[in-house]
Amino acid sequence: MTAVKSDDAPRLAPSQPAGPGTHEKRTARRGKLAAGGLLTPALLGLLLGFVLPVLWMIRMAFNEGAGSGVVIETFTLQTILDPLTDSYYWGIIWNTFSMGFTSALLCIIVSYPLALFLTRTVSRWKGILIAIALAPLLSSDVVRTYGWMVILSPDGILNSALLSIGIISTPLQLANSMPGVIIGLVQIFMPYAILAMISGFGRLNTQLEEAASSLGANRMTTFLRITFPLSLPGIFTAFLLIFVLSISTFVTPRLLGGGRVQVLATAIYDQTTELLNWPFAAALAVILLMLFGTVVAFYQALTKKLEGE
Amino acid sequence: MNTPRTKLSLAGLTKSYGSNLPPAVDNLDMEVEDGHLVALLGPSGCGKTTTLRMVAGLLDPTSGRIMVEGQNITNTPVHKRQMGMVFQSYALFPHMNVQENVAFGLQMRKRPKQEQQERVMKALEMVQLDHLAKRSTKALSGGQQQRIALARALVVEPTVLLLDEPLSNLDAKLRETMRTEIRQIQQRTRATTLFVTHDQDEALDMADRIALMNGGLIEQFGSPHEIYERPRTRFVANFIGRANLFEAAIGSESSTGPDGLARYEISVGDHGSFHAVGEPGMAGSVRNVLVRPHRLRVGSAGTGAEGLRGRIESNSYTGDSVSYHVRVGSELFTAERLTDGDTLLSVGDHATISWRAEDALVLPEELQ
Repeated sequence: MTAVKSDDAPRLAPSQPAGPGTHEKRTARRGKLAAGGLLTPALLGLLLGFVLPVLWMIRMAFNEGAGSGVVIETFTLQTILDPLTDSYYWGIIWNTFSMGFTSALLCIIVSYPLALFLTRTVSRWKGILIAIALAPLLSSDVVRTYGWMVILSPDGILNSALLSIGIISTPLQLANSMPGVIIGLVQIFMPYAILAMISGFGRLNTQLEEAASSLGANRMTTFLRITFPLSLPGIFTAFLLIFVLSISTFVTPRLLGGGRVQVLATAIYDQTTELLNWPFAAALAVILLMLFGTVVAFYQALTKKLEGE
Repeated sequence: MNTPRTKLSLAGLTKSYGSNLPPAVDNLDMEVEDGHLVALLGPSGCGKTTTLRMVAGLLDPTSGRIMVEGQNITNTPVHKRQMGMVFQSYALFPHMNVQENVAFGLQMRKRPKQEQQERVMKALEMVQLDHLAKRSTKALSGGQQQRIALARALVVEPTVLLLDEPLSNLDAKLRETMRTEIRQIQQRTRATTLFVTHDQDEALDMADRIALMNGGLIEQFGSPHEIYERPRTRFVANFIGRANLFEAAIGSESSTGPDGLARYEISVGDHGSFHAVGEPGMAGSVRNVLVRPHRLRVGSAGTGAEGLRGRIESNSYTGDSVSYHVRVGSELFTAERLTDGDTLLSVGDHATISWRAEDALVLPEELQ
């Protein structure tokens, strides 16, 4: 072949006025501009709707609150230190953490088999099955929380069923208690956990499991040595997501807790709307944010370790 | 009863995915000799991978039996079959390093740590990758992954080694190197091997026996030489190598040679006549006749008594070789020869095509 490949031709042509790089540079600059232009609305929204309010909230946490809506403009650490030196608030922080941890853990335990099944199924109903698993998202969590109140209350469906079978003799105290809140949270966040795990199961591949079994691993060993380790990234992502959603949710602890379950979110609500102590509410919010930060940092370290393998 | 040398035998093996579909594998019988490499060759969808997966235990046969060393293993689960399998995607465990991958099968067999270590290193030396033992599998090239997968399958000394298109993910050059290497390792370890491929060159080059499959059936089972030289059906003749195939009324049968083949006289209307060989007893029927393009001679018209007269329809000259398309009646023959300095024939010239009788084979397959 003597012909020059057609896509090389323009560069070899001597009549080309500008150097070969100019055109590409211009294209690259234009690409950057376009990307910048497309990002602007989202960045602006993020700035106005998230970054500025959070900064304002952090600033508020350094003010002093005198209650009843009076904010004393100052710059003190005292407002944040107050709850951190008060065992009552440590109790609330611990409640928040353990609620987030427990509901994330339970949510993963119940969602994992489903997510694994939905990832691996070759059924032609796969799309529909995934849609069904995510369908609860169509109803608001307020509605679902009310549903759980009906089910879990002392004269609710669950207790009357258990009483009539004779498994228990007095109604279980599930409504207005932490276990009830956790039951509600687990069910409400299951679709998120399933979604997060399905997307995190990228490294799973049935051929790996087949390879393991051809090498002599039975089903249990294959699961423990291959399937489970490879699904850890999905599990961690889902855990982080559910933890964060749980500790920041207000509706479920408030309604299912019936005022007897105090977590940071409900405490912040009380401080903001009932005691009108905004600086203190902001201080609690900053503590919640730090709890977030700790868990996210932990997650980052874990995933880095997993990827490093 | 099985002969003592038979390692793997399949009897009436069938896999069907529904009563309204033709079976993916249809009543397949095959015997694999100890130490042989058998290639399951065929176009995609011919059932070769399905067969391999049934042998591995990854797929349950609808009916039929799989026997290893005379033992029926049809209902033995995968993890108890003691086979080694190399997957098309290699399927190396991404969360384990090279050494851990190769050791996996030995761990499952609960071999002592010391022995595991030694056998893993020996297997890695065999594929010349012992220096990569601690490396992550992600950092390996395709060819290296391929070798690790092979080492992982062989380290457990499997009864049967199963290779599922192991070379299809490699680039052309590496594929040829790996072909030789796999064959050498297979011969050294004398591992009875079943090898799925759609590449006829691979099968011809590597296999002791080829099972050429089509539509869930074995069209022909034999050595590469048999498959190429003595194809039994039109499909086989077409699939392996290049072929001139044409239907002809088989004339009178003469002497049967020492190779067991009869000579037939075949005349093609007023285009001439030629001789061909084939199994005895086909005189008077209409059959396919096969002549490979490079065994076909083209001469200018009137040079020989025997042969078919036609016209050059096109030619293609590449220096070393020249190929002609020659029209004889309704048939178009392809001839390919190394050049010898003689004058080339041009398009439109009258020409005579001929061949040695042994180079034309009457296929035993009956025509509908």
